[in-house]
Amino acid sequence: MTPLLQVEKLRKAFGTHEVLRGIDLQVNRGEVICIVGPSGSGKSTLLRCLNHLEKPTGGAVFLMGEPVGLRWKGRSLHEMTFNELARQRQRMGMVFQGFHLFPHKTALENVVEAPIIVKGVPRAQAEAEAMTLLDKVGMRDRAHYYPAQLSGGQQQRTAIARSLAMKPDLMLFDEPTSALDPELVGEVLATMRHLADEGMTMVVVTHEMGFARDVADHLVFMDGGVIVEEGKPSEVLINPRHDRTRAFLSRVISET
Amino acid sequence: MKRPAPSADRPSIHDIRPVPARNVGQWLGGAVLLAMGLLFLQILVTNGNMKWPVVADYLFDAKILAGLGMTLLLTVLAMVLGLAIGMVLAIMRLSSGRVFQWISWVWIWFFRGVPPLVQMIFWYNLALLLPEISIGIPFGPKLVSWNTNDLITPFTAAIMGLAFTESAYAAEMIRAGIQAVNPGQTEAAATLGMTRAQVLRRIVLPQALRIVIPPIGNDTISMLKFTSLVSVLALPDLLYSAQMIYARTYQTIPLLIVATLWYLLLTTVLTICEHMIEHRLKAAPGQKTRFWDLRFFPRHRSTHQSAEVQP
Repeated sequence: MTPLLQVEKLRKAFGTHEVLRGIDLQVNRGEVICIVGPSGSGKSTLLRCLNHLEKPTGGAVFLMGEPVGLRWKGRSLHEMTFNELARQRQRMGMVFQGFHLFPHKTALENVVEAPIIVKGVPRAQAEAEAMTLLDKVGMRDRAHYYPAQLSGGQQQRTAIARSLAMKPDLMLFDEPTSALDPELVGEVLATMRHLADEGMTMVVVTHEMGFARDVADHLVFMDGGVIVEEGKPSEVLINPRHDRTRAFLSRVISET
Repeated sequence: MKRPAPSADRPSIHDIRPVPARNVGQWLGGAVLLAMGLLFLQILVTNGNMKWPVVADYLFDAKILAGLGMTLLLTVLAMVLGLAIGMVLAIMRLSSGRVFQWISWVWIWFFRGVPPLVQMIFWYNLALLLPEISIGIPFGPKLVSWNTNDLITPFTAAIMGLAFTESAYAAEMIRAGIQAVNPGQTEAAATLGMTRAQVLRRIVLPQALRIVIPPIGNDTISMLKFTSLVSVLALPDLLYSAQMIYARTYQTIPLLIVATLWYLLLTTVLTICEHMIEHRLKAAPGQKTRFWDLRFFPRHRSTHQSAEVQP
């Protein structure tokens, strides 16, 4: 069976600075993968390369066997345009550290926007589905609020509903709780846990070790642009084989 | 020096409100300016050469009102056209296509550099350069041709001069507005599968225009006054209509006052509109603001109160 997402020899450099130095990773349907590591290790860049928000400088990402952002024409390989990429991007929902809700639209309008504009779903149907999603993330009673009137946690839960509205095959989370006040982290993690329980395929870049331990099927530890260690969270967290993993974990765990 | 001892006839510092500090300079300066203002007003009212009865006679003269209509028409058309071209230029300037960027840059450079008055005269005399304007296959046969002098009337020359100048300024404002929108907005929209045009139309431009509306209002007021330049093309706008009347009656000052009053009225109306729009934009989205919530002279004195409002 082809994996949902396959990353092969992925490299990314900004100028001469190499951020990713050959990443291989496989995401199967229904799996939750957590990526942890010190800041600057390339986790976010890796996530952003998956949907080509950053253009990789080497290697490839395959979504159900299809190269992301690239297209074969006979024997030559062509880069896709922004609009050609849109079709692939809508299958990978993404949740950002900074939420990035559309500030001129209410929570409900944020959620229905893409289904109506991109997929051509009739407004009434889109709104009904959006209300179900907002209910799921606990935002039903705030559906008509603007982002500026919502707390960080509420904004992030709305952003999750907005991504889910496109019925993506997998969800990418880029440090979804890092910009939140500590007391608001729990509600967002609970929403993500719920999503994982429903069988959503998720790739999560996070600093929340508790979440990684409990929810991840597969834990990836990155440092210096490479995957240092990966495996079941219980193994990696409790019996790390590499010194770098051990050093990182002792730093993170002593903090909490 | 000895510290004054608390005396029985002085109340406790906790029971009494301090007298606010007075700025003597402000009072003195204000008094002088007020006196000068009154003097000026006296000249306006009592000087016989102002001929207020003549002003009253011509204020609602049919020719003046027609000129007023022309001024408004020129303002609206030049702004609409200028903003439309400016929007295209701004998008071209920000596109990744080098030719787009370059052409947009040259257009803005040119039309920001050439005074609108020079442009108007130039456009009006376009026939000297291109006697005939044709649509056809480039470097091939012509399909339709017009005599340039039939095409370029004083009105079209005026609109071109005003709108092209405005387009250059509008392009820079809109570009700044687009760049002020958080790039995360584009990324979020892209991950939802929107195309470039959808991201621009639905997400970026609505936010950019919100930022750009106050300077556009300002430009509209400038444009209203710039339209008076068209009098050189003998186009009967407000100023030229007044000029035509005083050329006949020699009532120069009263008719200039008629024009001035109308310009002032229009800019006042536009200023009020601008204030209201700006006020509504400043309010957080979703927050209801009342139509009459305007302050022309906001007071900044009560710093204590505003400090308390902070959460």
